Amino acid sequence: MRMLLVCPEVFRADGGIARILRLYLKALCATAREGDEIAGVVLNDSDANDPRRSSYDGPALKTWVACGRRRLVFAWHVFRLARRTDRVICGHLHQLPLVRLAQKLNSRLNYCLIAHGIEVWRPYSRAERRALLGASCILCVSEYTRRQMQRFLPELDGRRLVVVPNALDPVVQAQAAPAVFPIPADGPRLLTVSRLSRADSYKGVDTLIEALPLVQRRYPATRLRVVGTGDDLPRLQELAAACRVSGSVEFSGRLDDRQLQAAYAACDLFALPSRREGFGLVFLEAMSHGKACLGARAGGIPEVVDDEVGALADYANISDLAAAVTDLVRHPRSPDLIRRRAESFGYEAFAQRLRTVLT
Amino acid sequence: MCGIVAVVSPFLPADARNDAVAHMIAAEKHRGPDDQGIVSSGPATLGMCRLAIIDPEKARQPMSSIDGRFHLVFNGAIYNFRELRRELAGGWNFVTNGDTEVLLAGLSRHGEKFLPRLRGMFAFAFWDAHERMLLAARDPFGIKPLYFARLEDGLVLASELRALAASRLHAMEIDPASVAEYLAWFSVPAPRTLYRGVTNLAPGHRMRLSDDGRLDVRRWWQLPAPRSSERAASQAEFERQLRLELADTIRAHQVADVPVGAFLSGGLDSTAVVALMRAAGADRLKTFTVTFDDPTTSEAEPARNSARALGTEHHEERVTGERVASEIGNILRAFDAPTGDGINTYFAAAAARNGGVKVALSGLGGDELFGGYPSFRDLPRLHRALGPWRQVPRSLRGAIVRRLQRASSARSRKLADFLAYARDWHELAALQRRVLPEANRLALLSPDARRQAERLGPMHPSLDEFVAELLDADPDQIISAWELRTYMTDVLLRDSDVFSMAHSLELRVPFIDPKFISWLWPQPAAWRIGRPGTKSALADATADVVPAEIRRRRKQGFTLPFARWMRRELRPFLVETFSSASLARCPWLEAPAVSQLWRDFERTADNRNWSRVWAVAVLVAFCQEARAA
Repeated sequence: MRMLLVCPEVFRADGGIARILRLYLKALCATAREGDEIAGVVLNDSDANDPRRSSYDGPALKTWVACGRRRLVFAWHVFRLARRTDRVICGHLHQLPLVRLAQKLNSRLNYCLIAHGIEVWRPYSRAERRALLGASCILCVSEYTRRQMQRFLPELDGRRLVVVPNALDPVVQAQAAPAVFPIPADGPRLLTVSRLSRADSYKGVDTLIEALPLVQRRYPATRLRVVGTGDDLPRLQELAAACRVSGSVEFSGRLDDRQLQAAYAACDLFALPSRREGFGLVFLEAMSHGKACLGARAGGIPEVVDDEVGALADYANISDLAAAVTDLVRHPRSPDLIRRRAESFGYEAFAQRLRTVLT
Repeated sequence: MCGIVAVVSPFLPADARNDAVAHMIAAEKHRGPDDQGIVSSGPATLGMCRLAIIDPEKARQPMSSIDGRFHLVFNGAIYNFRELRRELAGGWNFVTNGDTEVLLAGLSRHGEKFLPRLRGMFAFAFWDAHERMLLAARDPFGIKPLYFARLEDGLVLASELRALAASRLHAMEIDPASVAEYLAWFSVPAPRTLYRGVTNLAPGHRMRLSDDGRLDVRRWWQLPAPRSSERAASQAEFERQLRLELADTIRAHQVADVPVGAFLSGGLDSTAVVALMRAAGADRLKTFTVTFDDPTTSEAEPARNSARALGTEHHEERVTGERVASEIGNILRAFDAPTGDGINTYFAAAAARNGGVKVALSGLGGDELFGGYPSFRDLPRLHRALGPWRQVPRSLRGAIVRRLQRASSARSRKLADFLAYARDWHELAALQRRVLPEANRLALLSPDARRQAERLGPMHPSLDEFVAELLDADPDQIISAWELRTYMTDVLLRDSDVFSMAHSLELRVPFIDPKFISWLWPQPAAWRIGRPGTKSALADATADVVPAEIRRRRKQGFTLPFARWMRRELRPFLVETFSSASLARCPWLEAPAVSQLWRDFERTADNRNWSRVWAVAVLVAFCQEARAA
């Protein structure tokens, strides 16, 4: 079988979508059978020979095109490669109408979509609806995302919506040595990892800062480390000052993979009380280090984080958030159990699931 | 019907817990003036005050098992307790004839698995001394309330917020985010409450506090599947079965060892309830109506006609502006949490209690289940417009929305919300119950509260939960569910509980019966709803007992002559409430904008905005009362 992976970006960025698309590339190459051929076209990547690619590709990958944000070039390559392809796996809804057009040139072509989260939780344009209705399957990152797609496109056959949960990246995880220490009695070290852009203020980093004084009433040495950067950073710094916790909040900026794994290892609790996570890959990464997680009772998070491996709080409910931190300190979750949960979302299971769904 | 309280804490000594529980019971005494009691076991102390309805002599609470392992405090009524008692009799030596002991026996034997067997309204706290575990739960629609706050490795719970305050175990600080939610929805939707760190156990949920102090809150009930094999084969079969199911729920809700009456407004819902009670054999039935001196809003005449036709002993409670003004202090104290509604229930409950009944049935829920509200007519029209609206260029849509947001008419501003935020049936159904349009709400909030409101957004906080529950539901079921689960649960049922309890009256709602709703829910919308606004299914099913003029009468929304009272008798209260000194004590509100809201109402003759002005006034006055307390 010849497969074509169509993506917005794979190696140019380090966001959740890019990271999971790398895993798709890796899993497709690893599970390819004799005679299978894989190609890829990436809109925003500039370097087709990015050094990180070697960790994810395999002999089955015959063509890899990076289009450097040139949309016409991207469309041309998609049409060109789709003519000799059996199946397209489309990495983002925005690119699906183009894939549907490509199907006009190759009547035996079928296509799938990877639905990550927020980008599919909305009404669809006419072109998107047609493209979605023509997809042979839609790989939803969580049950929540599956429900949202059914909500906004009820005529879509529910059997075509398949849940394929995100997984840990073995390439990144191999760099880390998991370590867990008891949570200090005078207060935990909290870690959050997120883009800090105004458009992503739903991630709830501000609510964590606001909850910090409440937590510090009980555990005065509690600290929060914020990893990530963006145009919302000044507002968050001002908020920390207004809440009088500037001295307890460390804004670490963007970290590379190695530094990020070290940050996970060094924290006591991981928190991302976000309202709109399709899945929340960062929770898995923290869990692979045996760290208990705190999330919002929203989006796909409850499918990853539950009472055994962490705690949930209502989104933007500051006292609930503070109570959840207290609960995690008073009732530490078992690191072994947390790691086992992370392993259940391992790469091998993901690759196997993907193979089963696609065949 | 009672008030229940509990304190569980491994760190508080028994004396301190008993003391807190005694204060909490005193704060809830109006809920149960007939009896009270406290029991302590290990780290738990349970207390209650009782309004004795079933087996008044023997079924005292807290109730404990003979071996002292299990203890229960329970607020509500289990209507199928006799049937359950027969099932449990083999393993339990019953010594009372009441529903409390049946609940105790069932929970002792089956634990939380017993919950789906219960037909009734309830909130309870159940302590297992052996497992050192507390189980508490609420009925499917939250007819009976339950609030709690966490303590270190424990909790404090109560039927009313004022009891939590009386415990002095939790600081009752008003949450600016909850103020913002109230301005949107007329109440603070569960699980939030007006106070930081205080949780309203959501309807159909249970919580379990383990020995190690961990709390697990889960949902135990949800609406039946939208379509099931239980559907009637034809409309005639549906009508015949509906009549039987209605008779069954009315019969179940009449179980009591004290006099039972009914609220009768003259509308179809309450008349059907009274007619079915009479058909079930209720003799010398007392009915109660609130009347006003304004003939355009008073339902005195139709209620009188219904009562005459059904042969009830009818009582009218005349409510005037002077009376509301003179009782406003008592009403505010009865609120327990601010609400923009419910004053009629306050007076109807007073009339029923003074009229000699301890239990009254109400037709609440008929509009939600049989399509009586305008939403069943309006939302399909709005939904049809959403598709073409989304084809309009975004910049033009933005300009139109901004124009509508600036319009003076509340209707235009509400339309702006629909156009700006609604994307599907759920969001339409959520927005149609908003009190203040988003732009107006934000303008009334202080910068801190506004920031919280913007973070929460314009949608109802339960949106995702309802979407998951109603994934395969048809549009009428979606509208029904939103009416049932938001306005009815958070406003109507809550108000009914606090205002009936303020007069020590047990109010029962036979349409909101899990067995009845389980049967009705999957029936085809065309039969259940019919033509929106007519409640034709209910009218047809009760045609043999409900007078024809009531069945033919067009729905008249229940309206108090409030706008007029606000301009006259209630004006001094409102002037004081909206004064600078008063608003200065409400730091969550933007005082100039709130004053302007009141001045605009005073200045113009337009009465349509009265409910919004009143809702804000209640919030301000309630916060002053809470501070003073």
